This record gives sequence, structure tokens and C-alpha cells, in this order.
Amino acid sequence: MAKVLVVADIRQGELKSSTAELLSKARAIGAQTAVVAIGADIESLIPALVNAGSDIQYIADDPGLELFSASSYTSCVVDAARQFGANLIWFGFSESGKAVAPRVATRLDASCATDITDIILSGDKVEVIRPATANKVVQRVVVNAERLVAVVRAGAFEAKAVAGTLNVVRLSPPARDLKAVIKQIVSDASGDIDLADAKIVVSVGRGAKDEAGVDLIRELANDLKAGFGSSRAMVDAGFMAHNKQVGQTGKIVAPDLYMAIGISGAIQHLAGMNGSKVILAVNKDPEAPIFNVADYGIVGDLFEVVPILRREIKKIRG
Amino acid sequence: MKILTTVKKVVDVELNIKVENGAIVEDGLQYVMNAWDENAVEASVQLQEHYGSETTLVSIGAGEDNDKIIRKGFAMGIAKGIQIDDSSLARADSFIFARVLQKVYEKGNYDLVITGKQAQDTDNGQTGIILAEYLGLPCVSNVVSIETLDERHIRVTRLGDTGKEILELELPAVVTVSDSINVPRLPAMRGIMMAKKKSIEVMDLNALGTSVDEVGSAAPRSEIVEYMTSKTRQAGKKFEGDVAEITSRVVYLLANEARVL
Ligand SMILES: Cc1cc2nc3c(=O)[nH]c(=O)nc-3n(C[C@H](O)[C@H](O)[C@H](O)COP(=O)(O)OP(=O)(O)OC[C@H]3O[C@@H](n4cnc5c(N)ncnc54)[C@H](O)[C@@H]3O)c2cc1C
Ligand SMILES: Nc1ncnc2c1ncn2[C@@H]1O[C@H](COP(=O)(O)O)[C@@H](O)[C@H]1O
Repeated sequence: MAKVLVVADIRQGELKSSTAELLSKARAIGAQTAVVAIGADIESLIPALVNAGSDIQYIADDPGLELFSASSYTSCVVDAARQFGANLIWFGFSESGKAVAPRVATRLDASCATDITDIILSGDKVEVIRPATANKVVQRVVVNAERLVAVVRAGAFEAKAVAGTLNVVRLSPPARDLKAVIKQIVSDASGDIDLADAKIVVSVGRGAKDEAGVDLIRELANDLKAGFGSSRAMVDAGFMAHNKQVGQTGKIVAPDLYMAIGISGAIQHLAGMNGSKVILAVNKDPEAPIFNVADYGIVGDLFEVVPILRREIKKIRG
Repeated sequence: MKILTTVKKVVDVELNIKVENGAIVEDGLQYVMNAWDENAVEASVQLQEHYGSETTLVSIGAGEDNDKIIRKGFAMGIAKGIQIDDSSLARADSFIFARVLQKVYEKGNYDLVITGKQAQDTDNGQTGIILAEYLGLPCVSNVVSIETLDERHIRVTRLGDTGKEILELELPAVVTVSDSINVPRLPAMRGIMMAKKKSIEVMDLNALGTSVDEVGSAAPRSEIVEYMTSKTRQAGKKFEGDVAEITSRVVYLLANEARVL
């Protein structure tokens, strides 16, 4: 029988939606489910972990776990996986997940698959589906190892509201990593809507030119209560924070609506957003490659288009 | 400080990639140095320039193109090149590559390993981290800056989920670098000429002092059994003309046709 351990994605004390999505998928394939939550002062999250669909909650709650440390987090996940006897260990898409998953896999002699969009179980056989090569191909991968550690792409699975049962197991805090010491986190979380959770994402590209252009597009995002993303060009130019970058090296998003404003549509950017349900592009160059993937395209100067977009959207949404 | 930089030959993702009968069509493909490994090379060469570090590059792969990318590393300033060429590695997964890299590391007494954060063909982002686990070394991934503190310590910044994480690492260590760490230099003519004359140390597993059994290349933990084309999006409705009119039309369609507003 499949036993799925989901690693809870906790940011700034909040449980991200991926946790419930992964647990729902685990229940859908008939697996036993457990969750491991790691952090400081996370007691209050236990009800949410149960509601997300877990039947066992492994809790590593320690002041030493406040700042992310790949090796401490690895120890906690490995500990929980061993106690539970997990054969499938799943992470939601996050930088910490991507850092920890290969470590966990190595310690458990497991296989490791990142960026998966589906997992297929038939009998003892486990297969995963994952886009690769900048989303240009899709791989079907057969797992030969007894265990699989996977990092799941945002939006791959849907959360179904099925609560689990309360069954808390406390993990002892891991030894501190003395060879890689975390000194500080310079936070760039500005309290805005997380890109991975947003139903609508509005992204700004080099076409916006400067601060004023960025502000104009941010207003549009605010109107829509949308996540506000960016191409790498605007991150490199210092206008947008790193954690706003959409693309192969940034966030991979799949919202209902993605608005690319002044973005050319380089393949590395497309890799981060071409799974979106609907794409709108605004670009003054009718030949811009972004129009090849956009469901709706407006050819025009964004400084003219965006104010009209805001006005028209206000009209229909009130 | 002795630095080992890992470099992989990957398919050029800017070109069209065709899939037929579950496999990638080789015809028309071109191979280049993995973009993130260019960042790794640049970071290594900068440390060499600033601190007199000694740089060595290793690439596991075969063929003329692999030779070309190693020479590109030389042209960018890397001092020594090692190539591991063994037919048993054709279907290797990250764990097998990491085992081979471990053997290379153990032969060389390095202080720092710099890998790309991800290979553009696999998009795995695993090999450097697994290598560190095998070696029992500290490792930081997705790194955007490296500074040396003293002989035995470096300070690195990584892009994490909530911001920039600043860590101090005891050497030897492994870091995997993001493309945001630097802009790889274009090799100068003189560098290119010199790179042509340099010798590359080419080894198979045997010469490396290991075997198919030891690196596990006969039994990968996972195997790609099929390639499929990714769902390509169709270009939709593109509007040109009076900006007020087309914008209002598109908003109407987003609300009433696509139903996403
Ligand atoms: C290894 C690697 C990884 C990368 N990872 C990423 C990644 O994760 N994310 C990412 O985004 N990029 C990434 N890139 C960079 C990518 O290749 C592009 O350089 C980048 O996406 C370009 O950003 P842009 O579209 O904003 O800028 P540009 O390509 O310069 O495009 C600007 C667009 O704005 C339009 N424009 C200009 N003025 C106006 C106006 N007034 N009104 C309307 N339109 C206007 C122009 O027609 C143009 O199409 C990566 C590159 C490499 C090599
Ligand atoms: N065959 C290889 N030869 C040399 N380095 C490699 C090889 N495969 C992977 N690497 C290194 O590991 C990094 C991550 O690869 P991957 O885990 O496949 O995404 C790459 O950027 C390379 O630096």
C-alpha cells in the first residue's frame, strides 16, 4: 500500500495551498497520508494540517528551525519518512523543497523527481510525468527505486476538502548544521499576494521601462487582487524583487489568467507561465513571440493600454 | 583555493525540439554549454582572478561538442579540463553523475565545487546537491553571490522562498549557482586561440579508478521511458488598431468568452 508523506509548505507562519493539494492527490490514489511540518511556533497550524487531509502529523517545532536550513529540514523529513515508512515523499514547489528533496532522496536511497505534473501508480509501478528542457518536451519517467521523493509543480493537483484525523507525533529537533550556518534572511516578502496562489497574475516586462511604468502595472494588479510578477529583465534592472520573477529560474505559475505586459516572451519566461489557463499579452511589437502563446493579444503601447484596461475592468467588476 | 567546476553539454533549447515515437529527434539539434554552468565557470574564473584560486573543470559526456564546451571553459579562463567519457553513462540519472563527480573530486583535493543550479536538458536541479551528500560536505543551492572570508570559509547568498538567505560555509563545500550570480563573459580572441592548444584529461570509469558497479550506471534509480511533445499553445486572437476600442473588446472577451475576469 502506498504511503505518502507530504512536506507542509509553511511561509511566514501560514500553510500554503500546496499542502492540501498534495494530500488530496494522495487520498485520491488510495494512499495512507501523513504530513511533516517544520518550523518554530507552528502548534497553531495543527488543525489546518488535519483539515488539509493528513491522518498523521509529524511536528518538528523548535526555535532553531525558525530560519530555513537545508540540512536541519532534511533531517526532520528523513526522520518522519522513516517513522511513517513512507514510500512516496512529496514537496510542493518551493525553493526550500527543491533544496531539500535531493538530500532526502540520497539519504533514503530513493529516486528523486523535480517539477512533476502527475504521478501514476499501477500495482507496484510508479511513474511520473514532468515537463523538461524549458517545457519543450514532457518526460514519462519510470521509478526503479523503492521510494520516490518528488517536488510537484504548482497547480498540478486540486485540493478537495476532505479532512483527515488528528494524530500528532512530535519529532526531536535535529542537530544544528555547523558547517553551513544561516546568518540572516533579508526578507523581500512584502505582504503581497503570493504568485503561486494567485488566480490572476499580472507580470511586468522591460517594456514598462522605469519605476513609473512598474507602478502603473502594479495598480492594475492591485485592482484585480492579482499576484504581481516580473520578467527577469525587470528583476535584473532592480525594479522588481527576485521572488517575483516568473520563468525557468523563477516561479512557475499556472493561474486562470496571466497578463504579460511589455514582455517579449523569451523561452525561459514562457517556461514559467505557459501552463496558465488564459494568457493576455500587451506588447507594442506585433511580432513579439509572446503573441504565439497568448489567447488574447493587444498590440499597443502599454502606457496607453493599461489605463484603459483598468477603466474597462472596473466597469465590469464594479 | 582549488575549485572544481562542473559543466554539462546540453541541447540548445532556443532551437526547435521535435519528438517522434516517444523519442527526441536528433536531427537538427545543436549542443551548447548549459547556461547555468556558464555562470558556474564565470564565478570560478572570478575567484581565480581575485584570489588566485586554481580552477579545474569537469564534464561527463562524449563527442566533438563536448570537447567544444570544455574549450569554451578554457577560453573563459578555466585552467584545467577533465572529461569523463564512458559509454555506460549514456542513460545515467543524477545519482550516477553525482557518483562519478564524487570520484573526480576525491582524486583532486578540492576546496570548493561550483555547479550550475540546473541542467537545461533535464531541468532536474539535483546533481550538485546529491554530490554534496555523497561527499558529506555542506551545500548551498541557488546561490547569487560568493565571497571568501578566510582560507577556510566563504559567505554565500542564496535566493530562498522569503528572501535572500545569507550563509557562512566551512570549506570544502559545494555551491550550485543561479543565473542571477553574474553575466558570463564572452571569450576574447586570444583566449579562444589558447584554448585550442590546451590538453584535456580524458578518462573512462576504469581510468578514473571506478567501475560500472560502483557508480551504479547499470541500475539507474529512474529512467525516462518516453518523451512526449508538450501541449503547444495556439496563438489566439490578436487585436490591432484603435487602442481604446480593442482594449475594451478584449476585456469583454476575458469576462464573457474566457470567463476569467
Ligand atoms: C539560463 C537563463 C535563465 C533565464 N530565466 C529567466 C526567467 O526565469 N524568467 C524570465 O523572464 N527570463 C529569464 N531569462 C531571460 C530571458 O531570456 C529574457 O532575456 C527575458 O525574459 C526578457 O525580459 P523582457 O521580456 O521583459 O524583456 P525584452 O525581451 O527586452 O522585451 C521587452 C518587450 O517589451 C515590448 N515593449 C517595449 N516598449 C513597450 C511599450 N511601450 N508598450 C508595450 N510593449 C513594449 C517590446 O516590444 C518587447 O517585446 C533567462 C535567461 C537565461 C539564459
Ligand atoms: N554530465 C554532467 N557533466 C558535468 N556536470 C554535470 C553533468 N550533469 C549534471 N552536471 C552538473 O549538475 C548541474 C545540475 O544538473 P541537473 O541535476 O541535471 O539539473 C549542472 O548544471 C552541471 O553543473
